[in-house]
Amino acid sequence: MTISTMDLSRRGFLKHSATVASGLAIAFYLPSGLAATDPKAPAPAGEFEPNAWVRILPDGTVKLVVHKHDSGTGTHTALAACVAEELDVNPMTVQVISPEDPFFETYIHPIWKVFSTGGSTSVSLEYDRLRMAGATARALLISAAAKQWKVSPDTCSTVEGRVVHGASQRSLGYGELVGVAAHLPAPAKVTLKDPAQFKYIGKLRHKRDAQAKVCGRFKYSIDVVLPDMLVAVIQRTPVVGAKVLSVDAVAALQVPGVRRVIAVPGRPDVLGGNLEGVAVLADNYWAAQQGRALLKVQWSASPLAGFDSDELAKAQAAALDDKGAQRVSAMAAGNVNAQWPGAAKQLEADYRMPYKVQNPLEPICITAQVKDNAITYWGGVQVPSSALEAAQTVCKIAKANVTINEMVSGGSFGAREAKYWLFEVAYLAQKAKVPVKLMNSREDEMRSLFMHPATLHRAKGALDAQGRLTALQLNAVSPASPEQWEPGYFERPDKMDYSTTEAITAWDFAYRPANLDLVWVKHESDVPSGWYRSVSFIPNVFAVESFMDELAHGAGQDPLAFRLASMHDRPRHVAVLKSAAERAGWGQPMPEGTALGIATNQGYTSFIAVVARLSKKDGVIKVDKLTCVVDCGLAVSPGGVEEQIYGGLMWGLGHALFDRMDIKQGRVVQSNFHDYRVPRMSDMPAVDILIVDGEPSKPGGVGELGSPSVAPAIANALFSLTGVRQRSTPLNLG
Amino acid sequence: MIEFTVNGERHELVETSPSMPLLWVLRDHLKLTGTKFGCGMGLCGACTVHLDGVAVRSCQLPVAAAAGHSITTIEGLSATEQHPLQLAWVAEDVPQCGYCQSGQIMSAAALLNTGAAVTDDSIRNAMSGNLCRCGTYGRINKAIKRAASAPKEA
Repeated sequence: MTISTMDLSRRGFLKHSATVASGLAIAFYLPSGLAATDPKAPAPAGEFEPNAWVRILPDGTVKLVVHKHDSGTGTHTALAACVAEELDVNPMTVQVISPEDPFFETYIHPIWKVFSTGGSTSVSLEYDRLRMAGATARALLISAAAKQWKVSPDTCSTVEGRVVHGASQRSLGYGELVGVAAHLPAPAKVTLKDPAQFKYIGKLRHKRDAQAKVCGRFKYSIDVVLPDMLVAVIQRTPVVGAKVLSVDAVAALQVPGVRRVIAVPGRPDVLGGNLEGVAVLADNYWAAQQGRALLKVQWSASPLAGFDSDELAKAQAAALDDKGAQRVSAMAAGNVNAQWPGAAKQLEADYRMPYKVQNPLEPICITAQVKDNAITYWGGVQVPSSALEAAQTVCKIAKANVTINEMVSGGSFGAREAKYWLFEVAYLAQKAKVPVKLMNSREDEMRSLFMHPATLHRAKGALDAQGRLTALQLNAVSPASPEQWEPGYFERPDKMDYSTTEAITAWDFAYRPANLDLVWVKHESDVPSGWYRSVSFIPNVFAVESFMDELAHGAGQDPLAFRLASMHDRPRHVAVLKSAAERAGWGQPMPEGTALGIATNQGYTSFIAVVARLSKKDGVIKVDKLTCVVDCGLAVSPGGVEEQIYGGLMWGLGHALFDRMDIKQGRVVQSNFHDYRVPRMSDMPAVDILIVDGEPSKPGGVGELGSPSVAPAIANALFSLTGVRQRSTPLNLG
Repeated sequence: MIEFTVNGERHELVETSPSMPLLWVLRDHLKLTGTKFGCGMGLCGACTVHLDGVAVRSCQLPVAAAAGHSITTIEGLSATEQHPLQLAWVAEDVPQCGYCQSGQIMSAAALLNTGAAVTDDSIRNAMSGNLCRCGTYGRINKAIKRAASAPKEA
């Protein structure tokens, strides 16, 4: 691809920044009419591109750029609404597109410094600058109209894609103003709307694309078809670390439609790189799968051939006593060790959670073509930086020659933050010299070895004679998260892995006894682990909220009152706890054979409390109801928040009752939904969700807020119902 | 040769292996990609279509078993894309990622086809073979009830 003498890639235009009233700097495009010469994504002549998020065409077409992956979480609706609100267009009817250049520096994640979507950060971190982007474009369009009419911009307003001069009853559509607006200087100062005037933010109840999704017209990665394309499936190493010794592909190649068999080398040199495998490429998936079944692959021995997930718990317990283990303090106060001797009561407990797997309903699927030293991807690419890394590492293709045709995916929950499939498809596309669509089967998805790691937590607490919590110690034994893939991870002076210590650092830990010692004990098993919705909040909140319940009972106190008494300066947290308890009938007389359990977590600057109601009838224990109250600050899309929370609660129910992945002799045991259970409609209890108006100025994250408190709330209710404390998931309801 | 009807149109498959699952015939041969692949074992319901009006898992049905029968896919549910269930799904804003929803709607349509009373119990029985990982079960329940009480499609 040729680069002309001027920097004509789209990122080159977005260079000028201005500081606005809020002190926020955003990138501007200084219009010069050069957009049409952009070789990578030619813009139609006269297109108005005031910044990285707004495109207006002379015919009035408005395109809003959403630079985040949508895996069904509604980011295309919520983020478009932030721009649209200030630009004064309808986010449900304008076009929403993915960036023409996904590697334009403005789109980089402000915390992780990579091009990525995740961590429930899309709305909360982008809210301000997306509103600024919309407001800036609107200011330019108003200036353009005012200039044309020879009136003061202050006398103009906007209504649904038009600039209006009320006094003279004149109006012009945005498209009609493109020519003039494109030559105006960036405004020095932009005023944002008064939230009281919002038409879309805080009011959206529907998402874009619903009609196409209910008619089977919406296109996913799996629906991509290209000329000469081959479909690939990969027989990956069954045991981590095993290598391909030999491949007998004779029978596989005799299957009608099978075209090629290609060995895929592993990339142990890359953090998160793919394992070894053998790919079968065919005209379609069915043929490829039949071919794979006939492959005869000899695998080398692996040091992990003896790995057993049941044994891992013992190794993790040993790490607690290992003086050489890497221990990282997540939060500390006072001196816990000084409190144990004089404590009126001392409690200690171990909590365990097993390996879990994400299982988005659309298995991983990605298409790539390598041609003329350039690579093009088609599919749901959640982490463009990983697609770039694959292109550079595997194919030696430069950044300027990487194109991503981004698509909405059929769920991710962390699965699409893995790199292995991008590395594999880049390799296969280069070898095959035709477009290659790589597809996972469900079995591949379950055995991709990008799982949520199994964990052990040891908690210890001290109570004084009045039943007050005086000391709390937690040792969380877990491997490092894939956060280590991010630039600078290994240079951090505090050695902290923020994704492993969620809920147990000063930001997100609610309780403030005088003596605290919350520690991450790093324990690596050599079995790779991956991102998973709610990440380490899940085991950390399960341990903390179960143990707080045990302490409350140990102190002879009500678990809600005990929690409230242990919090300081947590008004929003206290409010959701009290509100959820009241809605669920906490403290009211309960029918015979029923019990409540409560738990709470905060994160992504949002707060949630969950109350589980269990019943026992004819010897069968059931989860009857989950009641929750959420404070996420400003809910940009209240309908979207509600469904994210419902989904989170469903995931939490799965953690409590079902999710468990076993590894025996180095091999994943489970393979499909018959032996790895996930919640079905028949498993769902009644659900009551209340979203309260929190601090109204700022949206918090919600995608990963809903699940962590569910398992401890159910475990706590189970204790109240049966008198038996369960400390490992999945819980046994008998 | 296998003859069958898909969305009212007669098809004759000559070279297709009779053991090929109907799902892949629909998707790869007939280019009807609204029907989705999720598990390949009939466990998730993403591939649900109607065989003579009854919900079946197309990933488990060899195409030979469809010979002589009438298949309806999500694309054929309504010529106007205004089936009461589709309208209700949009009104309740059911789809999140949307990947399971073709199968969900076909299972729901099969329930309505039976003429059975639409209750929480009948919905649960009809729909629990269809997995959704985003968590749309609550809204699916509401949408089916909404569709059941809507006037029939013209």
